[in-house]
Amino acid sequence: MINVENITKQYALSKKQRKELQTNSTSVAAVNNVSFICKPGRVFSLLGPNGAGKTSLLRMVSTILKPSSGDIKVDGVSVIDNPQEVRRKIGFLTGSTNLYDRLTPGEIVKYFADLHGMERSLFNERKENLFEQLNINEFSKKRIGQLSTGMKQKVSIARSMIHDPSVVIFDEPTSGLDVITANSIIELIRQCKKDGKTVIFSSHIMSEVDLLCDDLAIIAKGNLIYNDTMDAYRKQSEGKSLTEAFINIVNQNN
Amino acid sequence: MKTIFTVIKKELTDTLRDRKTLISAILLPALAMPLIILGVTKLQKNLMDKEQSKQLKVALIGAPENIVSQFNDSTFLVVDNVVLAGVNDSIENGSIDALLEFDTDFNEKISTLSSGGLKLYYKSTNLLVEKRIREKLDNYKAVVMNDRIKQLNISSETLEPLSVVKIDIASSKEQIGKMIGGFIPYIFIILCFTGCMYPALDLITGEKERGTLETLLTVPASRFKILIGKTITIALVGIAAAIMAIAGMFLSLKFIDDIPQDFLNVINDLLGLKFILMLFAMLIPLSIFFAGLLSAIVVRASSFKEAQSYVTPLTFVIIIPAMIALMPGVELTWQTAWIPILNIALATKEIIAGTIQLSQYLVVVGSLILLAVMAVFFSLKQFSKETMVLK
Repeated sequence: MINVENITKQYALSKKQRKELQTNSTSVAAVNNVSFICKPGRVFSLLGPNGAGKTSLLRMVSTILKPSSGDIKVDGVSVIDNPQEVRRKIGFLTGSTNLYDRLTPGEIVKYFADLHGMERSLFNERKENLFEQLNINEFSKKRIGQLSTGMKQKVSIARSMIHDPSVVIFDEPTSGLDVITANSIIELIRQCKKDGKTVIFSSHIMSEVDLLCDDLAIIAKGNLIYNDTMDAYRKQSEGKSLTEAFINIVNQNN
Repeated sequence: MKTIFTVIKKELTDTLRDRKTLISAILLPALAMPLIILGVTKLQKNLMDKEQSKQLKVALIGAPENIVSQFNDSTFLVVDNVVLAGVNDSIENGSIDALLEFDTDFNEKISTLSSGGLKLYYKSTNLLVEKRIREKLDNYKAVVMNDRIKQLNISSETLEPLSVVKIDIASSKEQIGKMIGGFIPYIFIILCFTGCMYPALDLITGEKERGTLETLLTVPASRFKILIGKTITIALVGIAAAIMAIAGMFLSLKFIDDIPQDFLNVINDLLGLKFILMLFAMLIPLSIFFAGLLSAIVVRASSFKEAQSYVTPLTFVIIIPAMIALMPGVELTWQTAWIPILNIALATKEIIAGTIQLSQYLVVVGSLILLAVMAVFFSLKQFSKETMVLK
């Protein structure tokens, strides 16, 4: 479960940035007083135009960024009071594979398992299962630099899931990927839901949202402008496409 | 502690598979010393031999016969018909190497027991010309002196009122230590810095640029431990560069002939356990200082290229104090013992010469440890800033 409570993130503006934005303000709010809940066994989608604050929000959930105010609780643990414990519970995956080119898939997964403090026997079991499910064994001895994007994404998935997180965060996970690779991510999200994990993902692709989501939030300019179930969103669209409905909601709140 | 070891293990595996790091931290330091020693000994010897055996073309204007006869051997060629007005051009274009113009009253002055005057035209950048001509003139001078001693019926001591016996209490180790002692730490410091440079760029900016740092920050390990693991790896590569330099020095002794005996003795001393321990007690905190400083700087860059533009000027900041240590008269004092880089260079010079004071050495090591701690603390401050670690 992820409980986002009145979260705000402000970034300090440099002189140059103030000049570019033509403002006298010394900071800008990337996320402004946002609250929502993501439940276990459900997929929560975060939508919004570019620069809306989606990545900042997900980075706060994954403890990479500290909120300026408010709090986020991951399975009841505060990202402010105990970020280290939160990190034990989360898996983080983005569209860019973010791997080490000179290491092998086995070495990378072992590195992240060690950083999560996993027991050797548990690690071996998890690794065996993941590598088999994702067909990594056939290239597990090759270095990442020699692999295709699809292979890399599979390794990236294994790395994010090795410690069996209860909460999985996907930041635009299919952006820039080919159809086959993107499909492996979609399958992973489905599997996470089936396993009762809490899933939050940001995306631009409405077809993916339609396919996977149970709950939905739309943010624009850092503000939460819509938060409901996917069924309610479909009902509200009243014959319009989901994309049109999204554009209407964003424009109404501009 | 386990987290730090995990980070070091991974970073070392990753770093040692990087060709750029292998070149800057292993290959270059291993080759540096053999190439320098080879250059200093073989190249210098060859050049000197060549200059010594080269036939010098000399023009003599108004020279007495007994001076001309001094130049009648195979190592000299007396060139005639050289006009004094064109002497500079003649030397510049290589048609002569030197010209000796004797005063018109030269013979008269010599015969009346006065000093005969002459002018020597030469180019000081042409090695050994002046020395070889002076040897010939000294031969003539000795003949004249003997004649005068006989003529005046005096003993040779009359013309030499002082009889100085020089007793140099500096050992040959000390003399050579002072001479080359500044150069050896200069090499170690530069190699240690360049050894740290590529891993710092790759493990900090490279990770930031590739996005792997962001993923790394989602694991339940503190940023402090991740940074310490990275800093130790960077420092280890710097130290590896110094070890390779010593290995290169050792191989030079084994395989390069013609190394002067005194120089060989000093280098043999350097390879003793005491020198190596004393050197590494300084190089370890120095490497950590470099690693901390470089990490703090390169974490500000968002790309490898940008990081390189930050680090390149820093190389000069490192070179300047190391070069100051090469200057004559710059010694290890209670003040210079606190100046980073300069202190390690001066202390190494004193260790090689065998004149280091233990108390000053301890101040140098202490100041380097303090500096290393400050650099790591500074890099941690930078690493803790969200804007620094994210693209």
